[in-house]
Amino acid sequence: MTIRRRDFLGHMAAGSAVLTIPTFLSGCGVQTATAISQATPENPFMTWFGVDQPTASRVMAELTASGADAADLYFQHTRSNSLSLEDGIVSKANSSIRQGVGLRVVIGEQTGYAFTEDLTLASMLAAARTASAIASGSRVAAPQSFDPLSAGNLYTTSVPWSDVGIDQKLPILKFVEEKAKSKDPAIEKVAVYWADADERVMIATLDGRLVTDHRPMTRVTVVVTAKKDGESQTGYSNIAARQEFAWYGEERLTKMVEEAVDRTMIQFEARRPPAGEMPVILASGASGILLHEAIGHGMEADFNRKGTSIYSNMIGKKVAEPFITVVDQATIPNERGALNYDDEGNKAGRTVLVEDGNLKSYLHDEISAKQYDLSPTGSGRRQSYKYAPMPRMSCTFMEDGPHTKDEIVAAVDHGIICETYTNGQVQIGAGDYTFYVKNGWLVEKGKITAPIKDVNIIGNGPESLKRITMVANDARLDTGGWTCGKNGQSVPVSQGIPTVLVSKMTVGGENAS
Amino acid sequence: MLADLKSRAAQAVELAKSAGANDAWTTANQSRDVEFEHRDGALEKVKDTTSRSLNIQIYADGRYSSHQTTDLKPERLKGFVAEAVAITRALEPDENREITSRELFANRPENDLDLIDTAVTAIDRDRRLEWCRALDEVATGHERVISATAGVYDGSQLSVSASSNGFLGSQESTYCWYGANVTLKDEGERRAAAGYYVGGVHVSALPDAASVAGVALERALSRIGTAKGPTLKGAMLVDAQAAGSLLDRLLRPANARSVDQGQSFWSDLVGKQAFSKALTIVDDPLIARGLGSRLYDREGISARRLPIVENGVVRNLYVDTYYGRKAGMQPTTGSASNRVIGLGQHSRDALMGEVGDGVYVTSWLGGNADRTTGDFSLGLRGHMIENGQIGRPVGEMNVTGNLRDLFNRLELVGNDVYPYSTTLAPSLVFADVDFSGA
Repeated sequence: MTIRRRDFLGHMAAGSAVLTIPTFLSGCGVQTATAISQATPENPFMTWFGVDQPTASRVMAELTASGADAADLYFQHTRSNSLSLEDGIVSKANSSIRQGVGLRVVIGEQTGYAFTEDLTLASMLAAARTASAIASGSRVAAPQSFDPLSAGNLYTTSVPWSDVGIDQKLPILKFVEEKAKSKDPAIEKVAVYWADADERVMIATLDGRLVTDHRPMTRVTVVVTAKKDGESQTGYSNIAARQEFAWYGEERLTKMVEEAVDRTMIQFEARRPPAGEMPVILASGASGILLHEAIGHGMEADFNRKGTSIYSNMIGKKVAEPFITVVDQATIPNERGALNYDDEGNKAGRTVLVEDGNLKSYLHDEISAKQYDLSPTGSGRRQSYKYAPMPRMSCTFMEDGPHTKDEIVAAVDHGIICETYTNGQVQIGAGDYTFYVKNGWLVEKGKITAPIKDVNIIGNGPESLKRITMVANDARLDTGGWTCGKNGQSVPVSQGIPTVLVSKMTVGGENAS
Repeated sequence: MLADLKSRAAQAVELAKSAGANDAWTTANQSRDVEFEHRDGALEKVKDTTSRSLNIQIYADGRYSSHQTTDLKPERLKGFVAEAVAITRALEPDENREITSRELFANRPENDLDLIDTAVTAIDRDRRLEWCRALDEVATGHERVISATAGVYDGSQLSVSASSNGFLGSQESTYCWYGANVTLKDEGERRAAAGYYVGGVHVSALPDAASVAGVALERALSRIGTAKGPTLKGAMLVDAQAAGSLLDRLLRPANARSVDQGQSFWSDLVGKQAFSKALTIVDDPLIARGLGSRLYDREGISARRLPIVENGVVRNLYVDTYYGRKAGMQPTTGSASNRVIGLGQHSRDALMGEVGDGVYVTSWLGGNADRTTGDFSLGLRGHMIENGQIGRPVGEMNVTGNLRDLFNRLELVGNDVYPYSTTLAPSLVFADVDFSGA
């Protein structure tokens, strides 16, 4: 097994060559991928990590030698590449390989965790003994072998990122830069940042499942700085998805560039709104940040099983108008937050958080599901092999409502409409949350009027849900590269919403009296 | 261990050179991290890990790239480095990409920074459990407690850097943190929650666990009955811990990269009276036992005390070698170490008395700032200040303005440093701040 693993990984390293140059590929003297798959009766992911069934079983036995309700081995190999274009040249690249296995044993609500980056049997056994120290019971029977579950198909790629060379990526960065520069003579600086990654995950569980997932990810960001009459303004836009190289079509890139330029140039005219409470319209798309902060985090079941969330006693209760339904769904193909399986090896799915205005379900990992006597919702996620999983969101959105955007704008006498955001945060217990609005507009007497910028908005989750009085029929997911942080772990997520009206929120502004 | 990392870093330099790099800078890292978390009377999580990685920066034919890997098998590393060089060659040349010059890493200070505490490396399971129980007992000691989580986090890290132009250095440090989060029953479904953690390089410097949990519980109790404060323009007292993160936000664009990219409101400020005379900030990497202390920075530049702002006058920015060369600025250091804020005369309570009426900020919630313009808007939690005394708890409020303008209206600086951070800040008082609330 060891030899095959080395060869396969050797191929991987060469195949991920930056340039699509055959000399380099052949230079490493490795076999083709086809040859490898023919040579391996084992699951190809097992080959990838150099682990066979008896080895996995042996490590699992060591991990559960002092007892366990659940346990898993989380093998991960992530290869990432990034490129930076600044001042007309692509003069920085970064590549990284992160490989390791996380070992977890769970007893009730207790977790023992260790990881190792050295995938030899000796190192894995040592890590297993460390993780198992949480337990003090008797040995449980580890499976002799693990049954592979069928792979998902939410983000299958025809060409893995490892086969896309820098020579293919460079023209995209140049295209984005030139496009941006051509949009306005006031633009002084354009920077373009590229990222792609191939992540391979293999999870072996105490109940004998073997789950594998190949997760691609890519993102392009353009940052624009313009100068007018001695004043500078910066804006940006990005697009991200679990996609392959061919996804970057001219139209998609052009739209991103136009957004970045528009967001930058409008800031020369934008001002701060007056400070205080007012009606807030959230434009469709990125405004899904409201759901992520106001309800999504509070519905993660780890907070609720501990009783620390404001939503801990609210399942089944009416929390919003009957035309409001909020969903967290990992099974939307190619979305940044999409997942075939979660990081505990459970099938990822669709969880309705709020159904027709009633609080319906939390987002569960295995620990919370067991405590609530429910099935996991496939929401156990982790940043990497270095971390134990916990309940997280995937793609969080609100379904369409009965109103139109025009009706919503017409209903506001004095307020704002928010369009783009940089970040948000929530306090789980009190339910207070915020999000930072980069661009928006004043709404006066039912009309969108002057541009605004740089205001933080703060509200309380359950109160804001009650105050969503109108929901339009234009729901869409944002295409930006959102990353969610919780307890020191970052995971990619998506969010979306139709245009909605929140009747009252506290808007950071100036000229308070 | 040190010898292993030294040879790993040196071998990586040789690998890069033999793969065709003109120059290479490598860093081999190893860390041990242990976490114990205890919740409501029971051990909930134990995590014990040893991690290692290798970073390589390649300079080839006027081009540059950086690479990291955790896969350190010799035969794999060879392929990885060869590929790293190939990646570099595929880039465009940039005359400003050069390895750190010898002059910048010459004269490295030899101070004993006292960054290794053998008492930390000796911490065992029993000691961690003892701390957890002591924290837990105090944190759960109130009838309103719904849940309390106590945590102990300790470990050590070692890194060795080597370069093709003669740099060799190692840095090692220990750390130990502990504290608790407390969630209390508040009105209706609301919970009042807060946490408090202390940490340092040496364990003997830390207050005892029970008193730390006591602060966490007291902070949570002070949040009970939090309501939205008013919309007003008035004085703002920021406590020492919250002041640290506000200062970090102020300093975020104070570097050559942001200036070079046209994204910094600090661009033309060097030598100018840009802020209130009450503001002094020094980056000091040579503080014994400091959380950000070091003898050299990420690029190997020898550590030295760097005044950033003196009595409101900007003296230096953070300048790394690449953006320094590009923007025509002399390199200082590209990354912050310990930021020491000049102290005033007043205690926090005395500052509150000086303020009379206003808002006392104890923590921020979300918000952001535009690096180019300095415009900011932040959510806050804290208390009203009434007649010079701490008043009712408030939340769901924003403070909005411009960072440069705000720090021009810094009126008073306290003498109460928050020590558990790389930004060593005291309480700060600002005049005429825009608050939005009810």
